[in-house]
Amino acid sequence: VCIWGTPMTATDQPSAADVPSEVADEVDEARLAEVMRVVPLGAGVLAGTAVALLVIGYLAIYLLVFLARGVVG
Amino acid sequence: MTEQPAEAHEQRILGTELLWAFGVGVLIAAILGMIVFTALTRDINPPSNVERLDPKTLHLSGEFAEHNLGTVVGADGGVTVRVIATQFMFVPRCIAVPRGRPVTLRFAAPDVLHGLLITGTNVNTMVVPGFVSQVHTEFTRTGDLLMPCHEYCGLGHSEMWATVQVVPDDEFKPDREGRVPCAQR
Repeated sequence: VCIWGTPMTATDQPSAADVPSEVADEVDEARLAEVMRVVPLGAGVLAGTAVALLVIGYLAIYLLVFLARGVVG
Repeated sequence: MTEQPAEAHEQRILGTELLWAFGVGVLIAAILGMIVFTALTRDINPPSNVERLDPKTLHLSGEFAEHNLGTVVGADGGVTVRVIATQFMFVPRCIAVPRGRPVTLRFAAPDVLHGLLITGTNVNTMVVPGFVSQVHTEFTRTGDLLMPCHEYCGLGHSEMWATVQVVPDDEFKPDREGRVPCAQR
């Protein structure tokens, strides 16, 4: 590849492997499988808790405030 | 990682997503069902009256002429309140209504868009020039309630408010013409 007349070669470019933080971690497949097994459960618990709080708040206002204020139409 | 566990993970995630979608569907259906149920059994609906009138002449004659404004009890005992919302006041500035009886509130505007709510109740509507805003309600407790304009209508908007005087039914006495003014306090 040549951009603006300057040849770009592999030899004048630093390798990502020169920087330790850029080197990919070694993956422990068994550990990854264990994490992947509980990810859907964790996501469900987190989202479920958030939605449950929201629905409880909505129901509390609807039943205890809105309906208590009487008819309108 | 072998192909088998990866597929199992994908299936588990898909199953979780489907379960979540089902749960959210049930929640939405339950909330909509509750709203429809209360609308049908307790008569709680958004005000949806569509009735036109000429905003340029509404104060000259007809329903919203000055002598018709305020609270009036009809021959059938029905309580109707007529109010004009204008920059920057409600006319009249105080309306009397009975507690525990159906009341029909009718509003009209001759100039710009206004809105109103009555504190502590579900009364909340826009008042659009050219239309009559109508709200049916029943006041459940006595006292003076604030009725401010809640739609910015100009520089004097913050001064635009009225009082709704909710009185016990036995103190709600119409005169010979069926009109009920606010009590002086």
